[in-house]
Amino acid sequence: MAPDPTAEQILADITAMLVETVGDEFLLAEEVTLKTTFNEDLALESIEFVALAELLQQRYGAAVDLIAFLAEKDMEEILAMTVGDLVSHIAGTPAPAPVAQVPVDAHVPADAQVPASRAVASAPAG
Amino acid sequence: MAEILANSLRFHVHRLPAADPGSGAGATAVFLHGLVVDNLSSFYCTLAVPAARAGHDVVLYDQRGHGRTERPPAGYDIGTSVRDLTALLAALGLGERPVHLVGNSYGGTLALHTALARPDLVAGLILIEPPLNGPWIENMLDTLSVAALGLEGSQVPRELASLGARKAARLTATADELLNRTTLIDDIAAARPFTPEDFARVRCPVLAVCGEHSELVPGVRQLARHAPQCSVRVVPGLGHDVLQGGTGELRRAVLDRLAEAARQPQVVTV
Repeated sequence: MAPDPTAEQILADITAMLVETVGDEFLLAEEVTLKTTFNEDLALESIEFVALAELLQQRYGAAVDLIAFLAEKDMEEILAMTVGDLVSHIAGTPAPAPVAQVPVDAHVPADAQVPASRAVASAPAG
Repeated sequence: MAEILANSLRFHVHRLPAADPGSGAGATAVFLHGLVVDNLSSFYCTLAVPAARAGHDVVLYDQRGHGRTERPPAGYDIGTSVRDLTALLAALGLGERPVHLVGNSYGGTLALHTALARPDLVAGLILIEPPLNGPWIENMLDTLSVAALGLEGSQVPRELASLGARKAARLTATADELLNRTTLIDDIAAARPFTPEDFARVRCPVLAVCGEHSELVPGVRQLARHAPQCSVRVVPGLGHDVLQGGTGELRRAVLDRLAEAARQPQVVTV
């Protein structure tokens, strides 16, 4: 079973998703870091953020409750976020286990509050 | 990318599962955006995420030629748009249970056409600033034609791109393609307004929301006079921009309506 992803892995994932979403002709010029903002630095369109959200849902599944995270924001606030804001949210929720390997009793509530530092600092090996 | 093939076109579809799917208490809401410069993202934060959080299944898609859906040169007439929608519902496995259509602007027009053509598929309508009759076709064509002429052969998208104004460049490039390289304007020109007889045939519940200063209010009032179950809500101080300008009030109205609908047993009219 994969360990919880580290911030570094999540950043690499999100960068790859951004390339997939907007095409790499634009992103090559720009190094995506935790401080990169979706709007000012990447000029991400609303619809591209929705496409990114799709890829995040596919990659991390229900364990990362993206909807709850975005619920109180409008599109302007979302696009004003940094990539690091998104990474912190994802790092702060448990990583999805491959479906076939999840023990029946291993239910973790989707809204479980796990400190962002946990996954980053000490990713468990199992 | 969530791409679904329906009516021989690749559609960009985004689904938001209900927050509490186990309860089975939610409705299914399908959102229909407006013309040319619009796409599914205008619903995302305003209505779609809140509806999913409230326990409803949400389907968003970019209509033919818009957003991230394929842009063929033809097929922008209302009949094809209705077939796009019904084919998409079938492809998503939603053909069995009637859905709620939430349409903004021309998306509302499409929603009403769909309810008339396929009443078996539609449980309810929420129409936000829908152009229904009166001079809207002519007015919209004027606006679109002026925009099309302005963009024809224009260097504006390229200039914007070189200035780093990537968003504006893409928006104008999309509008240019839709207006100057598809049959959209001709197809809209061929549309016919709804008649009182059309309105009288609408069997499902309808909620219509308009801006106080909108030129579309008379058409909506006429719909309410003739449709058996139609309520109207007028948002004070606004024109056509109810979705963006009146998001809070609109969201409460839409969530109330979906909750009410979800409490009632589904009645399928065939």
